[in-house]
Amino acid sequence: MDWDKLVQLLVNGVTLGSVYALVALGFSMVYGILKLLNLAHGDVLMVGAFIGWGALGWLGGAQDPRVAVWLLILLMVLAAMAGCGLLGVAIERFAYRPLRRAPRIAPLISALGVSFFLQNSVLLLFGSEFRSYETFDLVDVEIGIHWGPLNVWVIRIVVVAAALAMMVALWLLVTRTKLGKAMRATAFDREAAAMMGIDVDRVIVTTFFIGSALAGAAGVLVGLIFGQINHFMGFGYGLKGFIAAVVGGIGSMPGAMLGGLFIGVVEALSIGYIEDVTFGRLGSAFSDLVVFSILVLFMLLRPQGFLGRPEVKKV
Amino acid sequence: MERPGANGGVGERRPLLEVRSLSLSFGGLACLSDLDLEVYEGEIVSVIGPNGAGKTSLFNVISGVYRPDAGDILFRGESIVGLDPHEVARRGICRTFQTLRLFLNMSVKENVMAAAYGHTKAGVLRSVLRTPGMRREEREIERLAEERLGFFGQRLIGYRMRQPAYSLSYANRRRLEIARATAAKPTLLLLDEPAAGMNPVETQEMTELIGRLRGEGGYTILVIEHDMHVVEGISDRVVALDHGVKIAEGSFEEVATHPAVVEAYLGTTGVERT
Amino acid sequence: MSSERQMVPRIGVDQWVATAEERRLRTLGVRLDEAVARVPFALRLLGIALPVALYPVLVDSEYLLQVGIDTLVFVLLGLGLNVAVGWVGLLDLGYVAFFGLGAYLYAAVASEYAGRHWDALVAVPAVVAAVAVIGFLLGLPSRRLAGDYLAIVTLFFLQIFLVVLINSGFTRGPNGISNVLPLEVLGRQAVSLEAYFYITLAACVVVATALYLVNHSRTGRAWRALREDELAAELMTMPTNRLKLLGFAFGAGVAGLAGALYAPQQGAVFPANFDLVLLITVYAMVVLGGAGNLFGVAVGAVIVTGSLEALRSPADASWLFYGALTVTLLAVLRPWWKAPALLAATVVFGLAVHEAVEAARPSLVAGTPVGQAWIDGLVDGWVLLPENIVTGDGLPSGALGRLAYLALVASVLALTLVRSSRWRLVGLVPVLYLAASVWESLLLPQPAVARYILIGAMLVALMAFRPQGLFGRPRVEIV
Repeated sequence: MDWDKLVQLLVNGVTLGSVYALVALGFSMVYGILKLLNLAHGDVLMVGAFIGWGALGWLGGAQDPRVAVWLLILLMVLAAMAGCGLLGVAIERFAYRPLRRAPRIAPLISALGVSFFLQNSVLLLFGSEFRSYETFDLVDVEIGIHWGPLNVWVIRIVVVAAALAMMVALWLLVTRTKLGKAMRATAFDREAAAMMGIDVDRVIVTTFFIGSALAGAAGVLVGLIFGQINHFMGFGYGLKGFIAAVVGGIGSMPGAMLGGLFIGVVEALSIGYIEDVTFGRLGSAFSDLVVFSILVLFMLLRPQGFLGRPEVKKV
Repeated sequence: MERPGANGGVGERRPLLEVRSLSLSFGGLACLSDLDLEVYEGEIVSVIGPNGAGKTSLFNVISGVYRPDAGDILFRGESIVGLDPHEVARRGICRTFQTLRLFLNMSVKENVMAAAYGHTKAGVLRSVLRTPGMRREEREIERLAEERLGFFGQRLIGYRMRQPAYSLSYANRRRLEIARATAAKPTLLLLDEPAAGMNPVETQEMTELIGRLRGEGGYTILVIEHDMHVVEGISDRVVALDHGVKIAEGSFEEVATHPAVVEAYLGTTGVERT
Repeated sequence: MSSERQMVPRIGVDQWVATAEERRLRTLGVRLDEAVARVPFALRLLGIALPVALYPVLVDSEYLLQVGIDTLVFVLLGLGLNVAVGWVGLLDLGYVAFFGLGAYLYAAVASEYAGRHWDALVAVPAVVAAVAVIGFLLGLPSRRLAGDYLAIVTLFFLQIFLVVLINSGFTRGPNGISNVLPLEVLGRQAVSLEAYFYITLAACVVVATALYLVNHSRTGRAWRALREDELAAELMTMPTNRLKLLGFAFGAGVAGLAGALYAPQQGAVFPANFDLVLLITVYAMVVLGGAGNLFGVAVGAVIVTGSLEALRSPADASWLFYGALTVTLLAVLRPWWKAPALLAATVVFGLAVHEAVEAARPSLVAGTPVGQAWIDGLVDGWVLLPENIVTGDGLPSGALGRLAYLALVASVLALTLVRSSRWRLVGLVPVLYLAASVWESLLLPQPAVARYILIGAMLVALMAFRPQGLFGRPRVEIV
């Protein structure tokens, strides 16, 4: 057994998983409140990655940053969160709100349109080639934890810590504040919540803002780990985020975090081992097949996911 | 308890529908507990009780939407617990809904025709080829739909048949729901508050109609109703529920004056205060 | 009748609804609709198919003939997607994977690579059946779940399909399979474009007829019923899970057929032919035409394919852009004089701005138009077309272009929030001018991207303002 490889893959998996968890959280929050599959969520992440890239360039770029590195990263994340939060609010206002009473398929088609619009807008403005965060110039690869088989680049630690911090903050927001109570009430029964004097529209807008801000932050984190971004990157992360939310239990916040980590680790392990297991017949690109099988298994055996509740039909 | 059905002579005959010690709960909240109920062929049985007594839940369990936690439901002596709702309907139990659930964007006629799915056969291939058997069946369905809609006099036939269901008035929608349910050719009709939201004239009409459904249509009917005039006018037998428990059963007079029923509707304290 | 009326006193609501519906029936659009509905389906179909059959005779360029074939393939795709989306109400996001499966399966039974050449009478039905079965199997895991889960499973299926195609040596990866052999029926091969045009047209006619017949049968009624109210359908004896699977597999089969006709016509299959872009394009066709309406879907396919082709050529693109803007304004604005007045106001406004800017910052109007249409030359003296606004690749060269684009998007969205119709009209003047400027300076240099931006925007706008599309009937949800 090659322990170094296993540990390294687990580290990769946890990093990737914390990004998926952030995406899944935003997705799951929106689904919980509106019962709407926000298919444009992945593209919000992509826009966030570009905002972070823009902020990086504006602050002098990776080679010659005008501020301290930690501040630079913080500013990039904050800019992406603010920009994407507003984008999310706009998407809700213009693409989803007019369709609240429409058949359920209508906002989904609208979401497809938004997704296509965002992708191609970025393509129009920035072109199709990959843009680089040049993280290796920003932070040396050698900085980090080196402890036996465990070698973790500091950026990975930052990514996981940032994701964790945001999840904890969100958890506190939802469980400890009045706004959080209103969000939970709205998710439980929108009409009853409205009758209890909760401004449902405001709750929905806030949810979109928070969910999209998390996706924006995730976009910057992705850019930091992998260095490269392009207009189509949102598709893959969005898809994995949806799956993480489903596997974790859609509508459940701890479920989204758990599902994200689970999918991240599964993906990392299958990228690492699929060649060995299939005796070289399938390359690492086929790791998606493993994730797909897991999704199908969950649908068949535990459709409510790890932590979700089975749905009760209303007559 | 031992009161036979209106057509009398029940004696040793098995009931059409038997509900045996049925229990249902949602997350610790008991909707129905240990409920027993029989409905004999040709009877009209009313279920009454205050809001939240478990009446609609009872209908949902019988029609297969919810699975009971315990107990059994026998229809013609066979258990129907665990069957898919469409399977229950196919065996002869069809229902209407308290909150109307029509196929709003389909025409009035198509609403009724759609419910004939269970007792017709033509598959996709035969439909594409328009085989003679398929055409005959299609004519049969149309005739059935027109006949079922004609049950309500002039209200639902003629030009109205081609109109979308959403264009109907509230009372006509309730009628259409009944027509749709009968098109599935059930033996037992479950009517969930058929007179809800109707004005006195329409309510009176609905009372007569339920009687005609048994007389002319030959259906056995289990009905949930709040309007006591309707209940009095139609019922062979009345069952009163409160908090998922049967608190009284018998003729309308017996149940209406039963202390437990009075208490359930008015509350003990309410009675004492006056 | 009169005795009936005396017996049953009519109460307000009943009467009001009846008269309102009668008033609705008197409007021209509805009467036209009813009149068309009275014409037998076979006649209506012939009325469309016969003129279309003249198309190869009328056009003399190979390019236009090829566009015609592509359009018919899209019509076929739209008809199939309509079963899942329009009738059953399922969001099938793996739809183009079935199209791809059809094409690849045909290549597997009739290509030099496979070393086989099955007769089309065997190959095409076999491919269709195989794709339908795969669709059925894919639908199984999500059979008990809400449509949302099906969307995720199918979207991921499309992703897997592409990953496998691109990375598998068996399907020759991104290079695809070339040398797909033509359709061969009893020893006669279809080689000319005309032949494929007529074969595809015949397929469209057959599929449209089959769909019409299914729609008017118990299965079609059950599909529509379960889209309206799934639980009620289930309680009215319809096995909804099985029906959904059936509709899903049916749509997959039609997509498979389209693929089996597309592969031999193209003579090659590539993974890149079956991507997300195609998926959204087919959705745009179905939604634009009106989901649920066969005729509408076909028209939607023609409009979308035609526009996408026209937007590709710098000579036609601007005509389409300005034409579509004008037509939309004429169709939407009432009374009739508002649209011409608005256009005149925009022209005057533009000329004034152009003059002012030219005096203050000449570089902002010094650019040369990219479009080759006559109208591009005309508007050159009117729009703001800054010098070197784009690089050689057509990408914005600096922040100005990007900001202008964002400003356009923001101002269009903001305009929809303006409540007063007068101020909305006034606001439209600068927005239209900005739109024309952005079109000339940023969108025209990259027509391939611009057209997809327009498709995305169109989907959102349609769902918000006209969800029934051009020809569908408006749906009523809650009364």
